[in-house]
Amino acid sequence: MKNGKLLEVNNLTKVFTKGQGFVKSTIEAVSRVSFALELNQPEIFTLAGESGSGKSTVAKLILGFEEPTAGGILYRGRAVANLKGRKEFMKDVQPIFQNPFETFNPLKKVQSYFFETERNFTGSGHGSYPLTDKSLELVGLSFAEIKDKYPSEMSGGQLQRASIARALITSPSLLIADEPVSMIDASLRMSVVNLFKTLKEEEQVSIIYITHDLATAYYISDRIAIMLRGQFVELGSVKKVLDNPLHPYTQLLESSVPAPDPKARWTEDIALSDLETREYTRKGCKFAGRCPKVHEICYEQEPEYHSVDERLVKCHLYAQDQVRCSSRPQIS
Amino acid sequence: MAILEVKDLKAYYITHRYGRTTSVKAVDGVSFKVEKDEIYGIAGESGCGKSTLLKAISGLVKPPLQILEGGVTYNFDGERLNILALNDEKQRRKLRGARLSLVPQGSMSVLNPVRRVRKSFEDVLYAHFDLSEQEFEDVVRKHLDALGLDWTVMHTYPHQLSGGMRQRITIALSTILKPDIIFADEPTTALDVVVQRGVVQLIKKIKEEQQNTLVLVTHDLSIHANLCDRLAVMYAGKIVEEGEVDRIFSTPKHPYTIMLLNSLPKLGDSSPRSSAPGAPPSLVNPPSGCRFHPRCPYVMERCRTESPDLIEMGNGHRVACFLEEGSK
Repeated sequence: MKNGKLLEVNNLTKVFTKGQGFVKSTIEAVSRVSFALELNQPEIFTLAGESGSGKSTVAKLILGFEEPTAGGILYRGRAVANLKGRKEFMKDVQPIFQNPFETFNPLKKVQSYFFETERNFTGSGHGSYPLTDKSLELVGLSFAEIKDKYPSEMSGGQLQRASIARALITSPSLLIADEPVSMIDASLRMSVVNLFKTLKEEEQVSIIYITHDLATAYYISDRIAIMLRGQFVELGSVKKVLDNPLHPYTQLLESSVPAPDPKARWTEDIALSDLETREYTRKGCKFAGRCPKVHEICYEQEPEYHSVDERLVKCHLYAQDQVRCSSRPQIS
Repeated sequence: MAILEVKDLKAYYITHRYGRTTSVKAVDGVSFKVEKDEIYGIAGESGCGKSTLLKAISGLVKPPLQILEGGVTYNFDGERLNILALNDEKQRRKLRGARLSLVPQGSMSVLNPVRRVRKSFEDVLYAHFDLSEQEFEDVVRKHLDALGLDWTVMHTYPHQLSGGMRQRITIALSTILKPDIIFADEPTTALDVVVQRGVVQLIKKIKEEQQNTLVLVTHDLSIHANLCDRLAVMYAGKIVEEGEVDRIFSTPKHPYTIMLLNSLPKLGDSSPRSSAPGAPPSLVNPPSGCRFHPRCPYVMERCRTESPDLIEMGNGHRVACFLEEGSK
């Protein structure tokens, strides 16, 4: 295949409606989100943000679980919404979910998921399953470890790796992982995170990694998009964005990651979030109610994307000085 | 003066089925003391017995959970009290909420989904005091104001609130009677970083205002680093290391603690990190000897058969490992 985009998301918007008639209210869960992943250039792209920021909705839209209200998703140059060969798309894009104990049916043996996927993929009947063995090997498990086992007999880390192995049977080019490590024990978490890194480097798989844990995002990803109430507020390489955050919301997020060090405790207090719906329906910048550097204009006018210091920032602060403002402004 | 003293506590889940008895050794010989006015942290992975320990020390013992040995003694202003020896449930109910209170895990399952938040507050207050409606409102309003919560939350149903808001209400609910000691079970788990910081802020504020003692249980070591004075690390039903939080983070001794601390990713540092091999053991059939030995990189012959006791390393730092025995 020629060079191009693996996945292109243009002005993706999803509106949820609640109620009917006079009491109808709408929420823009995803609002004009755009990004692209290059073909033949695997990367780990992180979507980060607090709960209710719409990051899981983006994943559902890409996977086709939800229909976008507006905007489009192009996969290898073709629109996902009306793909003729939907099966091809599903082979190539695989999801990994948050809780491995909910991914697998507790009454079914884990191996049956592997056999079913491989049968559907290759079309061959019963007998041997070479792809199952191969994909389990990739995640550091052996078939003997999952043979005849039910999900309850395995640890969370093992099961999550099994769930990744199942996704790898079809040798996908894109994995969409929605909070894949948040349910896994601390001592096993890094084994899964490291696995994503190896998959990218050795198997050329691109990964959309959805998380609220900035520490693991920093550890594995190449690019990061910070989401707030359905919008991207900052998008750029992970080193740029997290080492030197520009948007006040990113700065808040970055400083709220607890450091595993008793000498670096939080000392200053932060403003807590308004009711969610109030932030979603705000006219200007969605962060205006909590922003320590808020101006009049923030309440009235939605900020544009500004390209500052090799990244995109959606904030009025950077409207004039797109070039000048390369250092990190201090929060007083 | 220690406000809480736990001695050789053994709490097992014992079930009998088809003539076979299975026991899950969730808490197996745990002893520690909590001083007045301190924040004591208990860290460990899921399934290491930390929630069971909290249940046992707050006297919530119901079958199949059984206390086999040990005692839990409270000291409220000179009045010594063994909560496990009280055989009247009414006496225990009097203590809960007023003297000791539990902030449970999972705020969605704490608040009743079909009742307004106000009803939950009424349950707590009316169980302990005989109040008129006006007095009730005064007490609650004062408490909510102090915690920065709005009175309007009283009229909402739990599903109308975000996870962070529900957690703050749960905390408000369990601290309204100014208990002497608060047990918080994973209060920030499942919350995102900004809300988590808000909850930590709230816990600190309550502690300052009400001057109470806090026992904080969570698997997140970063939260412990941020809040606690002293920390105990649990593994498979036992405390493997205990000491001041600064010492544990700067000079961890037990291989499990070292491994946990090494696996934590940090912002601004993408050097490779790895997890320990293997997985936490099942508590039905825990490994013989030291329970960490199948995953330990420094395992010795002795570890497979003998179980190490906690040894004092000076300054209240205690470690259960044979490696430290010589260097004492």
